[in-house]
Amino acid sequence: MSFVNMSVGDAILQVRDLHKIFPVEGGRRLVAVDGVDLDVAAGETLALVGESGSGKSTVARCIVRLIEPSGGEVTIDGTAIVPLPTKRLAGIYRRIQMVFQDPNASLNPRMNVRQVLDEPLRLHLALSGAERAGRVRELVEMVGLTPAHLERYPHELSGGQRQRVGIARAIAVSPDIVILDEPTSSLDVSVRGQILGLLLDLQQRLGLAYLFISHDLQVVQHVADRVAVMYLGSIVETGPVADVFRDPRHPYTRALLSAAPVAQWGVKRTRVRLAGEIASAIDPPDACRLVGRCPMAQPSCSAGKPSLIDLGQAHAVACPVVVDRPT
Amino acid sequence: MSGVLLEVENYSGAFWSPTNELVPVLHQVSYRLKTGAMTAVVGETGSGKSLVALSIFGIQPAAFVCTSGRILYRDTDLLGIDEKEMRSLRGAEISMVFQDARAALNPVFTVGRQLADVYQLQHGGGRSAAMAKAIEALRQVSIPEPERRARQYPHEFSGGMAQRAMIAMAALTCRPSLLILDEPTTGLDVTIQSDIMELIVELSRQRGLTTCLITHDLGVVAEICDEVVVMNAGRVVETGTTEAIFTAPTETYTRRLLAASQLLEAAA
Ligand SMILES: Nc1ncnc2c1ncn2[C@@H]1O[C@H](COP(=O)(O)OP(=O)(O)OP(=O)(O)O)[C@@H](O)[C@H]1O
Ligand SMILES: Nc1ncnc2c1ncn2[C@@H]1O[C@H](COP(=O)(O)OP(=O)(O)OP(=O)(O)O)[C@@H](O)[C@H]1O
Ligand SMILES: [Mg+2]
Ligand SMILES: [Mg+2]
Repeated sequence: MSFVNMSVGDAILQVRDLHKIFPVEGGRRLVAVDGVDLDVAAGETLALVGESGSGKSTVARCIVRLIEPSGGEVTIDGTAIVPLPTKRLAGIYRRIQMVFQDPNASLNPRMNVRQVLDEPLRLHLALSGAERAGRVRELVEMVGLTPAHLERYPHELSGGQRQRVGIARAIAVSPDIVILDEPTSSLDVSVRGQILGLLLDLQQRLGLAYLFISHDLQVVQHVADRVAVMYLGSIVETGPVADVFRDPRHPYTRALLSAAPVAQWGVKRTRVRLAGEIASAIDPPDACRLVGRCPMAQPSCSAGKPSLIDLGQAHAVACPVVVDRPT
Repeated sequence: MSGVLLEVENYSGAFWSPTNELVPVLHQVSYRLKTGAMTAVVGETGSGKSLVALSIFGIQPAAFVCTSGRILYRDTDLLGIDEKEMRSLRGAEISMVFQDARAALNPVFTVGRQLADVYQLQHGGGRSAAMAKAIEALRQVSIPEPERRARQYPHEFSGGMAQRAMIAMAALTCRPSLLILDEPTTGLDVTIQSDIMELIVELSRQRGLTTCLITHDLGVVAEICDEVVVMNAGRVVETGTTEAIFTAPTETYTRRLLAASQLLEAAA
């Protein structure tokens, strides 16, 4: 199944059959991530999109081992980091960095911006104090802040400014791959444009790869090479961004793409709506997760969870119904 | 319907810097929220959108000093009333969804308990009735299995779910006249985002709710807002109806902002 995910070139990040189960009350199991495969090639951007609560942040947190996966394998440039004893992880963080969804909670409130940016340099790079100070100044400017912001504490920054500090911290040690969890969600369009430009520029100059989690489909279309769409713990569609956006196949992908608002006066869009309540990730049945809400559901959809089906051109969809009945 | 519920008038303010100087951040900010209308506040990050909203809610940061202006809510100057009076307005009259939803929820109580507490505070009644209302509110913001989710703690929620719980609390558990939403849907996928915005639009129609929506998403603004306030660097640069702002912006900054969002669309 994994071959359909495979991109050209060598995968810098490879995720195989990742699972994360949270025990919840009454001995039940919340299946947050249910067998996810991902490949990100060096210098490439893979976008991970999908319903809120579908497990995107959990995938990211498992990859960097902020939480322990329940199963699966993760390798960075051929080196396994899942499974790997926690104490051997330190060297890996030089190569993989993460920007968190919630910049407020991820910045230490007792450190000012200078200290936040200096810390990874001190931990991972052998630089002199003066070199580090220079690099810190370079970093704040790269993300469009000024040296005056260096003395500020997180609570003294606006939401967007905090997010930029998070990005500066992640790129500080020149990693190979950065996981960005909603990196631009609280930025205005002009700064968002700047940050995206910056990310693309860094990618070109440093050959950085990105795993880019976002709800902003415009941004995804703008920056990503490939996209993977998640729904309740699983990837339901994956492929080159242009193909998936032009010809979305999975009913969830179609609903998602049709819901995006357009920043123009008087434009009306036609939404493809999913019926009913969002299904729960707790003790899910062995069936397509969309079954209660899907306009195309067939009796066969309740018999087993569909896996990804290759459509050619690296496009794959986990829905036999749409594959059998082409549009 | 054309009355004004809230008016920010020449509001200016500054922060104490670490070197004990006053650094001005808001300059003569003026805007109006019309009764029953949905007004968007847009503008670049750091332009003061949240700060004005926090001031309306009476929780501006301690280091912030107001140097001039008034914030009139139904003819009461919110800057002139004491904490006790402000507290009686919060929730009952004015309600707010914060930019950082997860941080705004209390980590040591279950989500259901927090909603039920707020409900009881506003409406009285028994414990189990309050919990039932809390669960109903969670259901309305598309949280699956709300009975069980109500018994979970904020850290067990995804980012978007925490945001929806905050919206449930501010808009449904409370029954405010004025609802301030600071980037309420940025962490949500567009299907849920659209559902939530539809819910808010419906509430405004049904209850005549007045809403102030701070957002970076000009698509949402074009689709659902009646009025727009554009801010830049601590100043209001332009206000007008959504149609006027989108079709005939007069200020360069507004044009730049619109162009930036359409560029991104065109590039996409
Ligand atoms: N620590 C935890 N304990 C219990 N359940 C959790 C925990 N963390 C996440 N979950 C659950 O796992 C599921 C996936 O959450 P996750 O945060 O990965 O979603 P997401 O796709 O990032 O959503 P969003 O777009 O809203 O950020 C959700 O049902 C969430 O409630
Ligand atoms: N406690 C503080 N001390 C000093 N400056 C502060 C403090 N809080 C906010 N500021 C500054 O006040 C200005 C306005 O901040 P505000 O949070 O209102 O911006 P915003 O328009 O909401 O931006 P965003 O879109 O990024 O959320 C910013 O430049 C910010 O750095
Ligand atoms: Mg998330
Ligand atoms: Mg703000």
